[in-house]
Amino acid sequence: MTPGFRPYTGIRVLDLTHNLARYATRLFADLGAEVIRVEPPGGLPDRARDTADVPGGPETFAFHNASKQSVVLELGGNEGRAAFADLVRGAQVVFLERGGPLGANDIPWLRDLNRTATITHVSPYGLGGPMQDAPASDLTLQSAGGIAWMTGRGDEPPLRLPGGQSAMVVSVYAAVATAVCLFDAETRGRGHILDVSAQEAIAHSLQNAIQVWDLERRISHRAGEGTRDASENIYECRDGHVFLASPPTTGVSWKGLLGWMAEVGHPSLAPFSEPQWLDRKYRSKPEARAAFKPLFEAFTRNFTRQELVENALKRRIVMAPVSRVHDVLGDPQLAHRQYFVRLGEGGPRFPGAPYKMSEPVWGVSPPPALGQHDAPAARG
Amino acid sequence: MSPDFLSGIRFTDLTWAGAGPFGTKVFSDFGAEVLKIESMSRPDPVRRGGPFKDGVAGTNRSGYFASRNTGKRSISLDLKNPEGREIALRLIAQSDVVSNNFGPGAMERLGLTYDEVRAVKPDIIYLSMPMYGEDGPLSTLLGVGMTIAAVTGLMWMTGYGRGEKPLGPGTHYPDHAANPYHAAFAVLAALRYRRHTGRGMKIDLSQVESTANFVGASILEASVHDREPEHTGNRSRRDAPHNVFRCAGEDAWCAIAVESDTEWLALAATIGRQDLAARPELRRAAGRLAATEELEAAVTAWTRAHGAVEAGTILQNASVPAARVSSARDLVEEDTQLAARGYWQTLEHPEMGPSLFTAPPFTIDGERVELRRPPLFGEHTQEVLTGLLGMSDAEIAELAERKILA
Repeated sequence: MTPGFRPYTGIRVLDLTHNLARYATRLFADLGAEVIRVEPPGGLPDRARDTADVPGGPETFAFHNASKQSVVLELGGNEGRAAFADLVRGAQVVFLERGGPLGANDIPWLRDLNRTATITHVSPYGLGGPMQDAPASDLTLQSAGGIAWMTGRGDEPPLRLPGGQSAMVVSVYAAVATAVCLFDAETRGRGHILDVSAQEAIAHSLQNAIQVWDLERRISHRAGEGTRDASENIYECRDGHVFLASPPTTGVSWKGLLGWMAEVGHPSLAPFSEPQWLDRKYRSKPEARAAFKPLFEAFTRNFTRQELVENALKRRIVMAPVSRVHDVLGDPQLAHRQYFVRLGEGGPRFPGAPYKMSEPVWGVSPPPALGQHDAPAARG
Repeated sequence: MSPDFLSGIRFTDLTWAGAGPFGTKVFSDFGAEVLKIESMSRPDPVRRGGPFKDGVAGTNRSGYFASRNTGKRSISLDLKNPEGREIALRLIAQSDVVSNNFGPGAMERLGLTYDEVRAVKPDIIYLSMPMYGEDGPLSTLLGVGMTIAAVTGLMWMTGYGRGEKPLGPGTHYPDHAANPYHAAFAVLAALRYRRHTGRGMKIDLSQVESTANFVGASILEASVHDREPEHTGNRSRRDAPHNVFRCAGEDAWCAIAVESDTEWLALAATIGRQDLAARPELRRAAGRLAATEELEAAVTAWTRAHGAVEAGTILQNASVPAARVSSARDLVEEDTQLAARGYWQTLEHPEMGPSLFTAPPFTIDGERVELRRPPLFGEHTQEVLTGLLGMSDAEIAELAERKILA
């Protein structure tokens, strides 16, 4: 065994990402890669954007840049460029993002400096095509990628997902593709150039909507028509909301639910025992959804979230509390598994690893101050 | 290209439904040999779930299954039968990774725990991805993608804002990016770790813990300030106007996102509202946020007179972030960017005929990863049992006769 070895020990990632792809490089940093944010004297654009002037700004910066290092180099000048070239020669991965200090035009130069590095370029729409340079944001990318269409109420506008999901989605795709290329570079000595599109990444994560259109010529719509079982919804209970998914195809869950209603003698049992509730086609219609909700809510309103979850566990019903974000910090299951970590000694509770590994290889440290690792001794 | 980047890596893949197979598909698309173990005694739910070719159900006709399983090899094997389990262990002994997304206890019941698997393959990489983790008070809670969204705060935050009730994502969102791709990243990391240390590992991926990272910045905000973060729907906490606007036509919408003073002035000019551009209090984000309703009304007056594509194009050309809100049909039939980049692939399938697939969302060295079609149920059973395990035709026929290969 190699003591202290972590999955990406020995890997240097030069990180010029500033928005969409920051989570990608963080995944490498948490598993031992030396991820160096190479920043102009004023910092990469996120240092001016994710500030305390905006609610949630500092937390967004910290979450996306934890575990990384920072050096300042003026890439417009010869000296800075030469210093950067030295770093590139010793790097295994260079991560670029549209709108950063280096762009797609610099890729040939980077390739000449290092033939075996993986060079990953992330942009809203990818390189080439009529939209290559089109302005974009999280809202417009979730719209152009198709996910916003599928969320929201039928009679209201399409709705984006919260928390900057365009960056999360493109980041995990970019990280995985980069890791695959890195694996090939270490196996066969081949360098690669990756051109990752956020629009395509989102369009790749639309459940089965592309196939629903291709094979059955139906459009998966935010109203849920034709795609969601009538039961799949959010219901009020005594102290909040619960989510239920109980299509008759998951027989245990539906039977368990009706059995529970029978036990407590709830009046919704009789209408739910009508034969149409065993018909998958009926249950995917809007009128079925409309009918289901008041019947089931009349039941859930008698219980607290805790009581509903206890019964879901006991009766094997697919039902869970709809947690507020702050509730997640008190989730008993996450507490049991010691999910949360501290960001630095005495720091705030911070989301833990997305995967628990049986070897002690994952760790997170606070994000770097601008230029914190300028002295070579500060790195490594 | 048909990449060989991961050739020589073999999976015994027990994952089913959505999230697990979507993660292992990364490996088959890059040349790894992914042996998908399936049984009709408990069929993969997505083989039973639509959409189906021409709307006609069938084991090999599901587009959902097809899109999650390109390039894999299907081995029909009943793991609940002790001889089926023995065969699985012989496959595992020649594999690098064994993967499952069953609930807690399922692998114990099958006799395929990490320790049991390690006994036949000491450096195995063992991926488990139950919903809530393998132990703890809620570990046995049943769930689907939307349940994971519910307990991570993602569902609560998905809404129009204005203090309204939560709506949640319209899909089982955690199944389609966070969990499969975190899983794939973890396995790739474990492969490099094994290459340098000789050691395998167990990856215990709780899908809730994985998805919580997708809303990690919001959770951190709640942690630091000890309060619920504000959620704003399509609006922004930083600037305005920033919303989805109704356009001419039925159910036609354009997203417009002003994120700077320059973009605001460009938008005001484009929609012919120099009067708004001239107002000093609107020159800064704070002033625009205070006037959100008024500015949205002004933008809507303009978008209602334009088609969604037209509105998006005019604004993009004026350097304002904007885009039509596309449905799946719009993406496939009308999106010029996806078409220009060669995003769509049509594969021949023996039962489905030519079917549409999305390419992996990137190019490598200027080329697309060419997908290979998904397997028919049990298509490679004979070939793998013969080629990998050296079984004779007679042995295989006898196992099939006893329904162990069904």
